[in-house]
Amino acid sequence: MIQIEGLNKTYHTGFLMRPKKALTDIHLQVPQGIIYGFIGPNGAGKSTTIKVLTGLLNFDSGKVQVAGFSPRVVKSRTRLGYCPEQPYFYDYLTGRELMFFYGRLAGLQGKELEKRTEWALNLVHANKDWIDRRLRTYSKGMMQRVGLAQSILSKPELLILDEPMSGLDPMGRRDVREAILSLNKEGVTVFYSSHLLSDVESISDRVAMIVDGRIVREGSIDEITSSCSVQYHIRTGETPSNLSLPSGVKPSSQSGEWTCENAAARDLFIQYCLNAGISIERIDHQRPSLEDILTEEIARAES
Amino acid sequence: MQSLSHIGIIALNTFRESIRDKILYNIVFLAIGLAVFSILLGEWSVFDRAHVIKSTTLTIMSLSGLLISVFVGISLVQKEIQRKTVLTLLSKPISRVSFIVGKYLGLLGVVACHLILLTVVYYIILFVTESSPSLSLLSAIYMVFCEMAIVVAVALLFSSFSTPVLSALFTLGVYFAGHLSNQLLEQVQFVKRMGEVEGFGSVLMEKMAIIIHAVFPGLYRYNISSNVVHQIALPDWYLFWQSLYALGYIGLFLAIASWWFNRRDFL
Repeated sequence: MIQIEGLNKTYHTGFLMRPKKALTDIHLQVPQGIIYGFIGPNGAGKSTTIKVLTGLLNFDSGKVQVAGFSPRVVKSRTRLGYCPEQPYFYDYLTGRELMFFYGRLAGLQGKELEKRTEWALNLVHANKDWIDRRLRTYSKGMMQRVGLAQSILSKPELLILDEPMSGLDPMGRRDVREAILSLNKEGVTVFYSSHLLSDVESISDRVAMIVDGRIVREGSIDEITSSCSVQYHIRTGETPSNLSLPSGVKPSSQSGEWTCENAAARDLFIQYCLNAGISIERIDHQRPSLEDILTEEIARAES
Repeated sequence: MQSLSHIGIIALNTFRESIRDKILYNIVFLAIGLAVFSILLGEWSVFDRAHVIKSTTLTIMSLSGLLISVFVGISLVQKEIQRKTVLTLLSKPISRVSFIVGKYLGLLGVVACHLILLTVVYYIILFVTESSPSLSLLSAIYMVFCEMAIVVAVALLFSSFSTPVLSALFTLGVYFAGHLSNQLLEQVQFVKRMGEVEGFGSVLMEKMAIIIHAVFPGLYRYNISSNVVHQIALPDWYLFWQSLYALGYIGLFLAIASWWFNRRDFL
């Protein structure tokens, strides 16, 4: 559904138009029918990539295809729904009038338009009395729901959402999550960016991690987490001297607990404890979460 | 067909947005107030009262149309970009050309409504003051509309790539240059004929006046109030040729605005 090959994008900022590389050699493939999470820290290039896909930004080089068309072509947007981060709309319209406005732009008319509007508003739990109030009176959560509703109004095959859950309360996040899953069940491909890694882990089929304008990890959640070494946590009865610890072993925040970076470090530490007559009370192993991996990648990029 | 429908939807939305602008009402009421004030001007003037009322009101129409184009029109595109409503709009299957043309037609609709309202006020004033209202005045009002159609296109062109303040200054510049370019050329040629400036300076001045005359839209062509008020016949097909001239400039300005808008990044 989305194909990106060797995408590069540079911004020119300031009076002197100094170049700043925003995306560097991005490669992404989003197959049809999946939920694809796009994660990364602020300013990593998530929104830039999404705006390139929706035709809002031009790019320097590379090949980008959305539903079989270049995003520069109007046709690429006929099967696309998009909700920007913090959606802004004409605040003199009511929520329902806004839906009709965007519906007409998507080619819907008459009864069909009314039917689709009802369907979209119901899906995001926005079909309430406030939908007939002017948008200037809406809270952020209401705006986010209307934004999501307008993006699915034309029943798109591809839905691109930029931070759809940011600023929402737990109920709102749950509603958006459920709406994404429900649309995906109907065959809609969803590509979305998010900071909320727990949500990404719970609903995404595949994930791409972008740091400093480069894709650093890509794959299913399992593929990404299993590609990292497992950490081992060991609890000892007595506290050995830190100075003589084997390499790869660090003390944890709690006294008497130790973190071994890999299996070799674990074995060395066990041997060390046996030799020193220190009792071992517990050994755990833990796979890193997306958050751990992202933090590690950010630290690596910064260094 | 789909593009025409998109243009219509955007134009209607622009019209609805513009008629909510408080500045518009200030300009409309100011124009109506000045039109009514022209009755007093007619009384005070040493010239024929009817002539003063007619020509003053036509000038008010032109200037108030300019103010609407500048203060309402220029912010239209910038507002879409600054408020980021453009992000959702352009992610729909509409071309950026449709967006620009829709915005243009929406604002032109506002200017047309303003002129229709002033025309009604104009004729009421003429009837009340018994200043021989005639249908020939409508041709002068139509010319003001054509002039405004060009000015709105200029405003939209500048607002597609510049800040509102600069766009306003540029648009006012084009308006005054367009009105004065003919006089400037005539003056320069007169001065040259009289031999007051000679040599390279004379050639340079004339060339510059010719360039200004050729590049800026000749808005002086649309000021036919003296012909209409004093019942001086216009050349045959004058309105038709001036309409065509306006269409040419509007097409050019909208094409440049669309081209530029196509190249823009929306962050």
